[in-house]
Amino acid sequence: MSAGRRIGVYLCGRGDWAGGPLDLKAIADYAIQLPGVRAVRVVPAAQALDPETLAGQIRGERLDEIIVGGDSPGFFKAAFARALAQAGGDPELIRLASFREHCTADGALDGHALDRAKAVVACAVHGVPFGLAAEPGTAKVSADTLVIGAGVAGIQASLEIADAGHKVHLVERRGTIGGHMAMFDKTFPTLDCAACILTPKMVAVGKHPNIDLMILSEVQEVSGGPGAYRVKVLRHATRVDASACVACNDCAQFCPVTVASEWDQGIATRKAIYIPFPQAVPNAYLVDPAACTWVQSGGKKCGACAKKCSKEAVHLDAKDEVVELTVGNIVVTTGYKPFDPQRIGRYGYRTYPNVLTALEFERLTNASGPTGGTIVLKTKKLNKRTKTEEWVFEPDGPKPRSVAIIHCVGSRDRNHNRYCSRVCCMYSLKFAHLVKEKLPGAECHEYYIDMRAYGKGYEEFLERIKEEGIHVVRGRSAEVVSRNGQLYVRGEDVLAGKLVENPVDMVLLAVGLQPSEGTDALAKMLGIGRVEDGWFNEANYNTDPSSTERGGIFVAGVCQGPKDIPDTVAQASAAAGRVLRGIVSGRTPGSRAEFGLADIERQAVALTHP
Amino acid sequence: MAVRANPRLIDDLQRYGAEDVSKCYHCGNCTAACQLSGQPFLFPRRSMRALQMGLEQRLRSSLDPWLCYYCGDCSEQCPRGADPGETMMSIRRWLTAQYDFTGISRLFYRSPVTQVVAMLAIAALTGVGFVVHAALQGGHLSIYDGPQAFLPEGAVHVFDWAMGGGLFALLLVNCARMWWFTMRGEGGPRASVTAYLRNLVLLPVHFFTQQRYRQCKNTGPWGVHLALMLSYVTMLVLIVFFLPEMQHGPDVRWGVHVFGYLAAIGLLAGTILALRGRLTRQAAHHQHSHASDWIFLGMLLALAVTGIVQHVLHRAGLPMAANVAYLVHLMVVAPFEITQVPFGKWSHMAYRPLAIYLAAVQAAAQAATAQVVEQPATSVRA
Repeated sequence: MSAGRRIGVYLCGRGDWAGGPLDLKAIADYAIQLPGVRAVRVVPAAQALDPETLAGQIRGERLDEIIVGGDSPGFFKAAFARALAQAGGDPELIRLASFREHCTADGALDGHALDRAKAVVACAVHGVPFGLAAEPGTAKVSADTLVIGAGVAGIQASLEIADAGHKVHLVERRGTIGGHMAMFDKTFPTLDCAACILTPKMVAVGKHPNIDLMILSEVQEVSGGPGAYRVKVLRHATRVDASACVACNDCAQFCPVTVASEWDQGIATRKAIYIPFPQAVPNAYLVDPAACTWVQSGGKKCGACAKKCSKEAVHLDAKDEVVELTVGNIVVTTGYKPFDPQRIGRYGYRTYPNVLTALEFERLTNASGPTGGTIVLKTKKLNKRTKTEEWVFEPDGPKPRSVAIIHCVGSRDRNHNRYCSRVCCMYSLKFAHLVKEKLPGAECHEYYIDMRAYGKGYEEFLERIKEEGIHVVRGRSAEVVSRNGQLYVRGEDVLAGKLVENPVDMVLLAVGLQPSEGTDALAKMLGIGRVEDGWFNEANYNTDPSSTERGGIFVAGVCQGPKDIPDTVAQASAAAGRVLRGIVSGRTPGSRAEFGLADIERQAVALTHP
Repeated sequence: MAVRANPRLIDDLQRYGAEDVSKCYHCGNCTAACQLSGQPFLFPRRSMRALQMGLEQRLRSSLDPWLCYYCGDCSEQCPRGADPGETMMSIRRWLTAQYDFTGISRLFYRSPVTQVVAMLAIAALTGVGFVVHAALQGGHLSIYDGPQAFLPEGAVHVFDWAMGGGLFALLLVNCARMWWFTMRGEGGPRASVTAYLRNLVLLPVHFFTQQRYRQCKNTGPWGVHLALMLSYVTMLVLIVFFLPEMQHGPDVRWGVHVFGYLAAIGLLAGTILALRGRLTRQAAHHQHSHASDWIFLGMLLALAVTGIVQHVLHRAGLPMAANVAYLVHLMVVAPFEITQVPFGKWSHMAYRPLAIYLAAVQAAAQAATAQVVEQPATSVRA
């Protein structure tokens, strides 16, 4: 720091951008007491910056260096450069203090955004890159890793770390690992069988000596800090000994309770003792305590499954337990939940039986689904138990002659989710292909707003779909109506300039993605931030997409933002790479969230006096 | 034909109330959601597009905005918050200004202050005029009826007729311009005289029933709108044609007055409901209020209240108070009619049924041309 220099700090903007309001006055009060600062001015965005006036101020205060602070200070830099030149100074002596880059994008800073903004200004005044000064020290790392969520991201990250020879505790809320990908029929754009790709990885996880798999489990409490997090995991009892169970299905045959299968999105049923799907990992049966007669009656009734099991694997009285772990790193891969289309009543979901969500259709067209992969319409059938008529899928049900796919359900919509869910365009095209492949005579209409075929091979897939004779209509349809039992999709064909009302037998709703249930609670537990839309916040959007503000906690997959399978897997491997870096070096970075203004100031000063 | 684009059009429309047009990403949800939109009149998305593109000519020649009754479904469902319903409303204001050849409408819509000043001036002129008239004719403030009346019904009648005639003539010219813009403007097919005659019945039907409004999903506003309009028209007919009977007093002439009472109730209730809607802003079509909406409703309320007060005071045997109330009433009537009939919101009473009529004529003309065009095409192919 050259002695006697005279610095002017200009804070430009209104301070009310996406990251939340910043008190520019407080930043100004802080900046004026920094060494060398002679003048601080707050310039509202509405006010045009006039180089003449600025030059006058610079001359008046005899300033020779300018710090431009604000949301996007680069926007104002040119005016200051001209003013500085006009005042006879060196226009190179301008430094930017970007709040957007260092505070607002790092949205984990609930509460300390203001301190962070002050630190950004301080670093600019000291002439030290913020990234260097704001880097916390490291802590000794414990070698075990916790992975939360065992979808394809969690599976990938676990295998990477476990294959490198380190212990992984993999926690999964459902009764099997695999997540949404295991429910899918095909992947886009390669049309690979999703299960064929994923199940080998799932089996590898199940068998891996380094992976401690906990299904029906949830993280309850996280304490400690970088390097050594202490985690309490609630393990719900499966009530079946997985090491003894051979998945022979005897128990389920005798189970008298039938409920809707979550795995099949409710379009098929399961028993109270069940296996989520045939390739489930662990490949063992589970008891659903909410449905089980024995559990609900406090052990007084039923218990047929336990009696019938020749392996004596069923232990209906098993208790939930809490496991305590100490881990050095945590990878969060909690994925998403689909948007609930019942929120948009005019699409008729749950009103008309043949209006389906994307996941329902995935299960319907999946060879392991209720119809063996045949695309059929629901038929009315009498449920003998409840004596009510229900709409169900029968393998020999009538086939649809016309299918409509409505894009952007719940996405890109100010009334629901503003963001683009990224995968729906492509999976909709995949659906159209599957419909055409399995029912060559059927008509298929896609109603889209904008076609987002942005990935490798995606545009080509779109072209292929068009060649297959699928009608791709630009225009989000507004409603699904039923007249005399016939469904119609009403929409505007924007490019043709026509109002269309096509008769269809089946409507598929391309629902968007939302953070999964419990994301908020988990974020609080882990002390990591979320963006406005609810996704976990990464340390840096561009350069550090799988780290978080807290050292040793990483995010991957859709829980960080909507993405497709290839991107999810790539990010999971990246997160695993960051974990391994810590384990190999023996040290993990500290938490940036806990690295306060005073720490950054101290480090900035130290960096200027090496 | 070359298409001329006006890049400032969208900014211009902002002064008429359209604020969010550029947010529209043309998903077409609004057009599909609209119960009134249908071939060949697709709206509101196309109007949004014309605005974004600055297609002034096309917008001016479009009947679409008048075919919308503003139920607000489009704005409620709009994924972008682009407010297509309010945009259509703003285009109607803009069109009103376009149809008006004097430019006064444009001035009033763009500068509500000017409009208020003009109204005050007209009110003052009216007041001074009648006071001077009374002074010259020997009228007395304490006499309501008879030869020495402060506001003799004969003079008021002449005043009404002169004002009404002038305004009606202006409105007719504006209607003729509307016809010219929409039926002759963009070089579309010319409609036959038969098409004009065959659809003529639509004019009175839609004027008196506003039945298209009932096709909107929410029919509540239709009732209020119709009641307000019918009450106003009833009152207008009573005043223009039956003023002597109306002004007779102090006893009540039920044969005439019963209509007056019904109309007064309708006017008062309709105006209050509309004002309440705009104040509470619960319905989508009440979310935004342009200054011209407040002026219109405020004046209408003042019109109804002063009229009622005048009538009651007259019945109560208070001629002086009744005269004062009557003068105030006339000072509301004159500025309201003069600013609103040819230049303001009132004019939609004429434009909307006219647009529905012209739309039917246009559709008939298009259908006729489509047949004519198709014939040679098939012969070429053969």
